[in-house]
Amino acid sequence: MRTTVSWWSAAIAMVALALGIWIGAPTVTCADPNGEEHDDDKGGHVHVPAPLEYADSHAPLRIWTDPKMIARGKEIYTTTCAVCHGDAGDGKGPAGLALPLKPSSFRDRAGVAEMRDNYWFWRISEGGQVEPFKSKGSAMPPWKGTLSVEDRWAVMAYQHTFTGHQGPHVPWEHPESVAMGHDIYRMSCVGCHGAQGKGDGSVGATLSPRRAPQPRDLTSSLFKFRSTPSGQLPTTGDLVRTISEGIRSSGGPFTIGLSGYRIMPSFRHMPEEQRLELVEYVKSLNKAFWERAEIRTVEIPPRPRVTPERVARGKQLYADAECLTCHGDRGRGDGKSAPELKDDLQLPIQPTDLTRPQRFKNGRRPEDVYRTLMTGFAGTPMPSYADALEPEQAWDLVFYVLSLSQGGTK
Amino acid sequence: MFRRAFFATVLAGMLLAYVDARPVDAIPAFARQYDMQCNACHTRPPRLNRFGEQFHMMGFQIPSASRPDGLVGSLKDDGTLKTVIDSLALRVSGGLFEYSESPRETEVKFEPPDEVELFVSRAITPNFSFFVEFEYEPNATEFDRDRGYFNRGHKFGLGKEAFFMANLGGVLGALGAPTMEMGGQTMVGRHGGFTMHGPMLMAGKIDANTNFSYATNRQLILDTELEFEKEEGENQSKVHRLPIVPYAFASKFFGVFKDRREHEPQLVTDQVMYNTTGAPGADFHAMFNDVILGEVGFLRENEGFNTYGMVRYDILDRKELTFNVSALFNWGFGVVRAPDSADHERAGGQRLDRLRYGVAANARWKGLDVYGALIWDRMYGLPSELRGEFDRTAMGLTVQADYLVHENVLVSSRFDQLWAGGLKDEKLDGTVLTAQIRYYPWQNIAFFVRDSVNLRKFHEDNPLRSWRNQLFVGIDWDF
Repeated sequence: MRTTVSWWSAAIAMVALALGIWIGAPTVTCADPNGEEHDDDKGGHVHVPAPLEYADSHAPLRIWTDPKMIARGKEIYTTTCAVCHGDAGDGKGPAGLALPLKPSSFRDRAGVAEMRDNYWFWRISEGGQVEPFKSKGSAMPPWKGTLSVEDRWAVMAYQHTFTGHQGPHVPWEHPESVAMGHDIYRMSCVGCHGAQGKGDGSVGATLSPRRAPQPRDLTSSLFKFRSTPSGQLPTTGDLVRTISEGIRSSGGPFTIGLSGYRIMPSFRHMPEEQRLELVEYVKSLNKAFWERAEIRTVEIPPRPRVTPERVARGKQLYADAECLTCHGDRGRGDGKSAPELKDDLQLPIQPTDLTRPQRFKNGRRPEDVYRTLMTGFAGTPMPSYADALEPEQAWDLVFYVLSLSQGGTK
Repeated sequence: MFRRAFFATVLAGMLLAYVDARPVDAIPAFARQYDMQCNACHTRPPRLNRFGEQFHMMGFQIPSASRPDGLVGSLKDDGTLKTVIDSLALRVSGGLFEYSESPRETEVKFEPPDEVELFVSRAITPNFSFFVEFEYEPNATEFDRDRGYFNRGHKFGLGKEAFFMANLGGVLGALGAPTMEMGGQTMVGRHGGFTMHGPMLMAGKIDANTNFSYATNRQLILDTELEFEKEEGENQSKVHRLPIVPYAFASKFFGVFKDRREHEPQLVTDQVMYNTTGAPGADFHAMFNDVILGEVGFLRENEGFNTYGMVRYDILDRKELTFNVSALFNWGFGVVRAPDSADHERAGGQRLDRLRYGVAANARWKGLDVYGALIWDRMYGLPSELRGEFDRTAMGLTVQADYLVHENVLVSSRFDQLWAGGLKDEKLDGTVLTAQIRYYPWQNIAFFVRDSVNLRKFHEDNPLRSWRNQLFVGIDWDF
């Protein structure tokens, strides 16, 4: 008779043990997503990224050291902020002592270093009327109706002086402000985009060797998926959308009932806050995000109704705009110039097969296709048609492109 | 001889063309679950790339993006049928044609793919997942314990691995460690400071090798089958040719036994500790600051069990170049039996302990992937009567290089060197060089041609060297 314990018994015992540990372990949550609790005496603050509508609000680099701006900021601070945050910026102003949520201390050097310019701009603009501050009982008023954009930057520049920081408050001076995004990047992105974000990770080299697409060089100014005009950097929202959706590709195995398979994974299950943190880190790899004067996006007018006439006009435009040269007359990506096409890295690139919308890299919704037409794909032969097509014409072309998956008839 | 080989190759090619032309319309489980291309996680299937290793390490989850509602969310969003289908994958692998040559004889065999595996795997929650492999081998070689010799037969049952993986970060949090939620998974540490992914507990039937610099799980060069001879009417079989495997992970000792009662020999090429057929055990691994991976665990082996520790250091990561090194330490308590000092054909009463230690390294640069392992073994507890006739130390070296020549073509070469130990009158060293080319018409299907050459002198009576050349044409098909 065998005396050894069968591995089945051992496995069952281990499953039971693990389930016991797992079910019994209390859930640990952290109010501070950075895993750090700051001393309330120094001013309670919660680390959350600025929401999308403020995420692109980056301070012009000059404001941090401009004496006039700092003087203007001091003037505003003294009259509007000091009553709660204190003259010395220590969060101990007379009106703040009785508040349920203590005003932030601007002397908490470590805490301030972790904050980003768009966070401060959001906080000054919206005050405590937004979550998560509202539920915590913040009494801070919104200042966006009172202070101009320039004045809000000025206040921020002045409050920054309380910690003794010198120079611009930007991620490449304060890496701690993008630490969370950096950690996510090291875990999830470094394989393809490389440690410095130059698109030279070891995984990228084997995805599609010696041909496009290659992982994006995040330090360059060429980003394919944008809502901004040709030649401009994407918005934070564009980057969040790319991270959330991933990137679909034309290669791969046989599929069954899938919406399309990705060459870059979708991170849609990552909490939105963390996606924003990741994007803040990605932006920190490229100073141009802080140097752009203004952000314009391509306006997408309301989608009209699809009619056979529109599809027919789209078909004509497809020929007139020479789409078929690359995408082929049936949209299969087999146009006569397709074999010679190269991207900005001089790598062969295949035009998208328009009969398979589930594999469109920039999305398959009509609005996505419209945006693709009007912005083009930077770094590829796909141009922007913003100057060549009127919005109505663009919609016609969108409807024809989407009809190609049904043979160009519907 | 060559004419036969030529015709055989043509025939195999025709068969491949037939297989090639059939629509498959399916992809493996994880690719389906995450709607991903195979190449996102594999250099080319089955070899994992860095992203795939991290995916595995974190319990089959996209790092930082695990689904918060896990299986329940999938059932709700995708429905039961799709969720079930997406949890399944099938792998068919093995030879279609084999050609073996020795100075005395030449063997040519046609055979269907000899291994079919069904995988069932899914993340149940962000911190808990499972992986189960069922295996069917129509022509499996197994030691018949009742009769006391090797035999062939069909085999169905659990395959190499059947385990669950649980992230214990939350448990450490409950014990007071700082934790944070990262993409739904609990992680120890604080951003910008010390971070630890895991520790992950992997328990069940496991081969805890995926984190080692030389990962033997998901190999591009498949192990060959053991060949034995059994004369009609005889009740004994004789091992004719040992399989070609990575020698670094081989048992390396001639003349030892797996157990006393059944007298099953521990063949010199049997893979132990790593690259096994799976063994009950538990493995804990964690990644520190994204550069150091630590792993400890225990595994059953024969009548004894292994304890082990492994550390991997990811030294370099820049400009398409990654480089890591690993160190392994393993103590096997009573894992093999020494031969009976009076009759070497039978197992003796003494169980031996084994010390195994070694290093491995892996460098990846563009399409090139080079990895190797050097492993030392030493036996302890040898009966005094055997000391003069048994070499207690052995060593194995395996180095492999893969190069992605083209999106669809991967060439590999592997060098195996065995400095064997064990009974001095039986032991022989072995050296094998293997070259392989894989063609991927799709990412989930590979056809391969592989040739292995025995670089040592032919030795008819020793199954390690009783061949000169072995050519295989095969298929590796995941869907």
